[in-house]
Amino acid sequence: MAANDPIHQFQIEKLVDFGVVNLPVFGRTELAFTNSHLAMTLAFVAVVGFLTLATSKMQVVPGRLQAVGETLFGMIDNLAESIIGHEGRKFFPFVFTLFMFILAMNVLGLMLTFTVTSQLAITATLGLMTILLVIVVGFIRNGPGFFKLFVPSGVPIVLLPVIVLIEFVSFLLRPITLALRLFGNMLGGHVALKVFAGFVVALGAMAASGGLGLFGIPGAALSLSMVVALTALECLVAFLQAFVFAVLTCIYINDVVNLGHGH
Amino acid sequence: MAVETESATSPSVVPTADTASAGAEAHGATTGAEHSAGLPQFQFQHWGGQIGYMLILFVALYVLMAKVFVPRMRRVLDERAATIADAISSAKAVQAEADSRAEAAKRALADARAVAQRTAAEASAKAAAEMAERKAALETELSARQAEAEGRIRAARDAAMGQLAAVATDTAEAMLEKLTGAKAPRAAVATAVKSQG
Repeated sequence: MAANDPIHQFQIEKLVDFGVVNLPVFGRTELAFTNSHLAMTLAFVAVVGFLTLATSKMQVVPGRLQAVGETLFGMIDNLAESIIGHEGRKFFPFVFTLFMFILAMNVLGLMLTFTVTSQLAITATLGLMTILLVIVVGFIRNGPGFFKLFVPSGVPIVLLPVIVLIEFVSFLLRPITLALRLFGNMLGGHVALKVFAGFVVALGAMAASGGLGLFGIPGAALSLSMVVALTALECLVAFLQAFVFAVLTCIYINDVVNLGHGH
Repeated sequence: MAVETESATSPSVVPTADTASAGAEAHGATTGAEHSAGLPQFQFQHWGGQIGYMLILFVALYVLMAKVFVPRMRRVLDERAATIADAISSAKAVQAEADSRAEAAKRALADARAVAQRTAAEASAKAAAEMAERKAALETELSARQAEAEGRIRAARDAAMGQLAAVATDTAEAMLEKLTGAKAPRAAVATAVKSQG
């Protein structure tokens, strides 16, 4: 039954169909404006709208909205500055864009019927994009010296092949962990929410039929309180995962920007 | 949450049922069968469109950030930092001035106190000198008077002593005359009285 299926919320549904094409990498691809596109657009509009309002009348003594914007800005700014150092400012727009976009998609996912960041396609793209930036910056900065990233200093020559292999594999795993962490958190949280919400409805229906079904009422009440608690937790997770993504991005960028010193 | 639950409980038929199922034999598959095939996230026919759209939005957002929002934020933050630095430095200058003023006031107070002390010392020295002078004058006057009084007393005593000899001589002469009936020469009587003490 689709109605109570906790997975159904992740289903892509077409709002406007543009037909089917064959793309080289993705194979058969359905082009459409889907609920995912709609949610992404809303997140984009939310971020742009918020930042426009927050920065439209900038004052030295901030108003409320400006203070919120500055708090988010300052948080990521401090993060980039403390992890990457004085060059953090160059990469700050990228990190801040990532953070705000993911945060908006996560938070909107709690209010809409669809969560974009629970789509592996999206989180994988974000992870790959980050690691591609790291690789490109690494090669521009260090040239072939980029490969020193896999050779930590002060390792005995005997252990070197093993260490290099481990470092290389861990580097390859970075985009995967970036993608799966965000995807898994969003997926799990929303499935749990949906399951408990489904319990409320099912047990409530049982209670409505009367008789022994009335024992469903405490169960339904418990499930409802779980939904409330999980919603609070998911609000935290929505923020935290965006922040974690930003922190890891900063760390990975720092690895290649300050390669060789303070590794 | 209310929205999510509402849309989920409404009997929504997935419109992709006919296009998603590739095979002709799966043509009659229900939506439920499609769901049980696994997570909707692994329906790869939806990946391309989502990824492309997300990249477009991300690039647009990045450009807006880098060109508009971040410079705006940065400007006001720098401005605020400059304002605060200015305020602090001016406060420091004001404090330094206040410190120097307090120092000057303290010095003026010390000066005034020194002057007052000197004046007081001078006045008291002058008063002491005057007093000593007057005392000395009084003392000389008193000693002069004492000396004069002593002189007078001595003169009176001398006179009394002198008269005592004459009275003794007279008395001795009168006794002699009474006893002997003869008049003794006055000079002899006087010498006799004198020799008696």
